[in-house]
Amino acid sequence: MYDLVRGPLVWVSLIVFIVGTVVQVIRFYSLSKKLGAPSLQVRVRPAKKNRVPIQSFDGAFHDWLSRVKLTILGISPVTIIISSVFHVCLFVTPIFLLGHNELFDLSWGFSLFSFSEAITDFLTQVLLLCAAFFLLRRIFQPRLRAISSPYDFLVLFLAVMPFLTGFLAYHHIFDYRTVMILHMLFGELMLMAIPFTKLTHMIFFFLNRFIIVNEHTIGKGTRVYT
Amino acid sequence: MAEPNIASVETEQGINTEEIKAILDDQQALMKLSLKVCAHCSLCAESCFLYTNTQDPKYMPSHKFINSIGRLYKKKGKIDRAGLEQIGDIVFNRCVLCTRCYCPFGIDIPKMIAVGRQICRSQGIFRQYDVK
Repeated sequence: MYDLVRGPLVWVSLIVFIVGTVVQVIRFYSLSKKLGAPSLQVRVRPAKKNRVPIQSFDGAFHDWLSRVKLTILGISPVTIIISSVFHVCLFVTPIFLLGHNELFDLSWGFSLFSFSEAITDFLTQVLLLCAAFFLLRRIFQPRLRAISSPYDFLVLFLAVMPFLTGFLAYHHIFDYRTVMILHMLFGELMLMAIPFTKLTHMIFFFLNRFIIVNEHTIGKGTRVYT
Repeated sequence: MAEPNIASVETEQGINTEEIKAILDDQQALMKLSLKVCAHCSLCAESCFLYTNTQDPKYMPSHKFINSIGRLYKKKGKIDRAGLEQIGDIVFNRCVLCTRCYCPFGIDIPKMIAVGRQICRSQGIFRQYDVK
């Protein structure tokens, strides 16, 4: 079992993840088209000579704060901050984990920089706390209960299990070998699930918010959905 | 039972599932993708003025499209008149298509409501503006 999850399944999951991601990106491009000359300007910034000059730091700061209060960070600050911390930990922890980089080095002869195990252990615990917040939020907030189904809990479970099993393995809680097999298995399942479940928001967040032109485009958008 | 201001014009043939499926299939690429990308995060809630004024989850944009167009895709268009009238209530009474709604993942919610309205109208279900 160990050899299976350590060997072929890693390749299967990576291939499924990469092919799935490419398919989703192609799907996005086939569903959208390049925007010709826009008939309406979505967001207009006044020309430099027409902009209100900065009167004071306090004034400029309060102007900025007023704009932030209108963003989703201003409307749901707790959720957005916890979600941001969660996602940063989600990416940073596995990539800069000493254990993972040791395996890369063993297999391919190169690895990335690694944080100390104390740091990655702390990041994992932060992530697990954030995930607990998501779980409690989904159970206890009526607005989330109204749109939740077992699928949402399953996807959260799938996303959290690699980190939970990694935490258990690092601290040698339960049988190490079994936990490691589960860790690798859940990691592979999560990777494979990304293009085919709502975890695909990982890909589409960037495609939709940066490339598609709408009121909330980040930067200049270039495409619209057909 | 339909809401009093949702007109439901019945024909002899009843609900034409083929017609509904044709519209669903025509839009399926974008609609199904949007339904899949929806992370059920409810961050769209405050963007709808109907939700902010009622605090009722049924006015959340995500709740609206999941229970209208989402339900139609789940059932693959096979829905009875009563079910379609419920969907009509959602897309005509709970949404004014002001397009104020936002989604952190960039899902075009008004488009989904509009397709829901298109399907309802194709089966003779529409809003009557002269009835309270």
